[in-house]
Amino acid sequence: MFSTEGSGLFGRIFQSRRPPRKFSRAAAALIVLAVAGALVFEGKTSAQSPPATPAADASKEREFLSRIRRLTVEGRRAGEGYWSPDGKRLVFQSEREPGNPFYQIYTLDLTTGETTRISPGIGKTTCSFFRPGTDQILFASTHHDPKSKQYQDEELAFRASGKERRYSWDYDPEMEIYVYAEKTKALTRLTNARGYDAEASYSPDGQWIVFSSMRDAYNRTLNDAEKKQLETDPSFFGEIYIMKSDGSGQKRLTNVTGYDGGPFFSPDGKRIVWRRFSENGLIADVWTMNPDGSDQKQITHFGAMSWAPYIHPSGQYLLFASNKLGFENFEVYMVDAAGAKEPVRITYSDGFDGLPVPSPDGKQLAWTSSRGGGREGQIFLAQWNHEAALKALAAAPARK
Amino acid sequence: VIEGGEGIEGTMTFNPFRIIGGAAFLLGLLLGPALPSQSQTTATKTREHVQTLASDKFEGRLAGSAGERMAADYIVSELTRIGARPLPGQKDFFEPFDFTAGTKDGGSTLSVTDAGTQAQVFISAAQVQALSFSDSAEVAAPVVFAGYGLVVPDSQNFGYDSYAGLDVKDKVVLVLRYFPEDADQKTRSILARYADLRYKAMAARQHGAKAMLVLTGPRSPNAGATVPMTFDTALAGSGIVAASINGDAGRAIFAGAADKNLESVQKELDSANPHVAGFAIPNVSVTIKTVVRRETQSGRNVVGYLPATTAPAGVDHPWVALGAHYDHLGRGGHGNSLASGDEAGRIHYGADDNASGSAAVLGIAEALAKQPRRRNVLVAFWSAEEIGLIGSNAFVTKPPVPMPQLAAYLNFDMVGRMVDNKLTVQATGTSAVWAKILEQANVAAGFDLVLQPDPYQPTDVASFNAASVPSLSFFTSTHTDYHKPSDTADKINYEDLDRVIDFAAAIVKRIGDTPEAPQFTKVDQPTETGGGRAGVRIFTGTIPDYATNVKGLLLGGVIGGGPAEAAGLQKGDVIIEIAGQTITNIYDYTYALDVLKIGTPVKIVYMRGTEKRETSLTPAARK
Repeated sequence: MFSTEGSGLFGRIFQSRRPPRKFSRAAAALIVLAVAGALVFEGKTSAQSPPATPAADASKEREFLSRIRRLTVEGRRAGEGYWSPDGKRLVFQSEREPGNPFYQIYTLDLTTGETTRISPGIGKTTCSFFRPGTDQILFASTHHDPKSKQYQDEELAFRASGKERRYSWDYDPEMEIYVYAEKTKALTRLTNARGYDAEASYSPDGQWIVFSSMRDAYNRTLNDAEKKQLETDPSFFGEIYIMKSDGSGQKRLTNVTGYDGGPFFSPDGKRIVWRRFSENGLIADVWTMNPDGSDQKQITHFGAMSWAPYIHPSGQYLLFASNKLGFENFEVYMVDAAGAKEPVRITYSDGFDGLPVPSPDGKQLAWTSSRGGGREGQIFLAQWNHEAALKALAAAPARK
Repeated sequence: VIEGGEGIEGTMTFNPFRIIGGAAFLLGLLLGPALPSQSQTTATKTREHVQTLASDKFEGRLAGSAGERMAADYIVSELTRIGARPLPGQKDFFEPFDFTAGTKDGGSTLSVTDAGTQAQVFISAAQVQALSFSDSAEVAAPVVFAGYGLVVPDSQNFGYDSYAGLDVKDKVVLVLRYFPEDADQKTRSILARYADLRYKAMAARQHGAKAMLVLTGPRSPNAGATVPMTFDTALAGSGIVAASINGDAGRAIFAGAADKNLESVQKELDSANPHVAGFAIPNVSVTIKTVVRRETQSGRNVVGYLPATTAPAGVDHPWVALGAHYDHLGRGGHGNSLASGDEAGRIHYGADDNASGSAAVLGIAEALAKQPRRRNVLVAFWSAEEIGLIGSNAFVTKPPVPMPQLAAYLNFDMVGRMVDNKLTVQATGTSAVWAKILEQANVAAGFDLVLQPDPYQPTDVASFNAASVPSLSFFTSTHTDYHKPSDTADKINYEDLDRVIDFAAAIVKRIGDTPEAPQFTKVDQPTETGGGRAGVRIFTGTIPDYATNVKGLLLGGVIGGGPAEAAGLQKGDVIIEIAGQTITNIYDYTYALDVLKIGTPVKIVYMRGTEKRETSLTPAARK
């Protein structure tokens, strides 16, 4: 019933802000089972719970999350929901466009429930973000690639054959950052460098964009080892860049081997949080730095894959995902902004929980999870208990 | 619920998957208190519906009973108050149908006549017993032995036909029960699907046989025993005389084939070699007389509608339907009660199952009655769901409104026990539009939705799926009071039940207002629920705890004197491996049962607390 031919759950879900590699497909099936288990655990009273199984801790989620609800339903999968500055909409990526097996970008109106596609509908897209104070939304897209339609058809034919590709996010070098204006529906290209440009987000004043780019693999002569690296894993060349909102003044901020990606500004605009992978791509940690690239500080030290950080609007702590508890089990954690204390676990659901994004008022949390029972991720929403979070962080032990 | 994989041979219409099959049931058991109420919704009316339907007065609303009739009368009075009308062309809200409430053997007999000698006559139930789906008739004819009586359809590309080369026209066929005992795993899993006695009887009939006798072979579990008569809701026989006979009767027949010995014939067949053929038994003829007494009763669906407020001209499929079954188990006499000990025989109130769904349909109808509509809204309350979806089947078989005119059907079965904001929506695979509609409606409703595409659910939605109507079924998961007298009105989560009503009303409104109707998509039926399964004859004596979901199979208990107890297993143990197969959930467990062999010990790996242990369990035969 649960096919081991399944797509890699991982990678598929977090396609962009960080696609982990080397996950076995079989693991996805396990997760689904586990997820189903976790789902039903939450309602149990302690008296009836069997002793000490991890899922039995599911009720602990309620310390910080309440009224958990599933936000996206349509399509094979969805993820990366980012809030509009007024908190009334989300923009997210979802695989639901007929005839296109890749992600497109949609806005979801949280008042009416209506969704609207804002991306071109062809090619691959990823990583959207509202520009504060404007009607603009950025995202990355490959639709200008004349081969887009061909890739779509190939993928659809491949799926129709009953098989599914062992997933690897291909870091399409055609991926470029665009900005879309909702009123005029105009789409403006911001980057032109050969190499994957994506994972972009705005500064709180809307004047700057931080993003990740693999242009370093294409704009200089690579040695043989680097050429091989590019073939097997282009993300090795991922570095953080900053540019003005019109695409001018592009400047590199990081210079360490291994994939740097998923950058976001802090609510006061004074820091950038991102995640940095080790050279072999297996370990990732959350870092922060100044917008000019100075004062780079490591915040997490799990020795696991800790990624997808996002700073709470209070500025006091940040949320991230980590597979500390098991290669296939990502959970959402939070840690104080300085990383002085041990992180606190937020979610207790087997399978995938990640890409946490608090609402602008800090009272809700949107995240991507496989808890809905399918193999694939969808966006979930819950009330966020900020006070309980502060208390738990205050009580957390100092980092070892 | 005892033992995953349990089912009752020959009772396809009964509904064993109510207990063993539906994914929601297996994965979805929830316990514990409801969420504290989040809103000030007035649940007064909903509460009144549930409390009335689940009151002592209605005595558990068994189909065909006085309690069922009173419940129907209550629903009619509420429909009238809401402003619903009888369907066009109907004088009232009642749609009666007949069903079989029970089956008994009324004295079936078999006589075996050897050429020249006098007849041997078998008359006791231990010797000969009609199968529950048999016609009542007498047949006198020569006998042909047709092995296991298995016919695997050509579509399976497997090549096994017990009737190949046999002429059984107008004969009595004698077949063995079950399927070849020594078959390898893969073969077993295929043949098991076609070993159901109803299926065997159909094969015999299609080959022209007048009667089928079933013998449990000496090498099989329950060797030589007749097959107990099971509950069967079919109104009439299956067009053939079918009876099981005991070992003595079987030997008396086999005496007519001088060179054949039953034991060695079975042994040869047990290899599952498709070339082992049956044969005529030349020197005897038999007279089989079956007497099946079916007690026919009448149940009543209650069906009305809210007419469209604007003429539905130009609207594709001018109806949208809502339904819930309102019957329950009475005092649990039909074998589908899970009450034990002191509880057995008491009123099964069925507050969640399904006064809650009935209240939901009334609540939705009441909400919709106050709004403009472009489609007629059909409002249905089914009876005899609990004994096999009989009411809803009767409706779709002879629909007062042509099925193709239905844009959609929404079903509500057990929606009153929401825990932790989780709402399961089933049958979402029946139309491509459901995902979008549910997504949009749920942004306001805010449920932690769990979607199950499968429409082959143990509830009335299955009837409408079979009629190609795009459908959804709402469900808040099962619980420890399921099918017990303790399913009472005080345990209903009325706040969240009202939220389900609001959510569904918004969905109906949207369907009702959209000129294009949802397109039906056929969902393939999972093969594992398709036919008889091998596991049904295995008895391990385990009682899975469906109310939990640890990784593995948590034992809620073991049956005294059963193989599990003998193996040292006890309540609280978690089985994680059987015969080398990893067990992560109840499905794995039921499939593992398929490949076990009666009497052959298997290794069981289980967790007791945090300690990993091993034991050996020897499966026995289910009676």
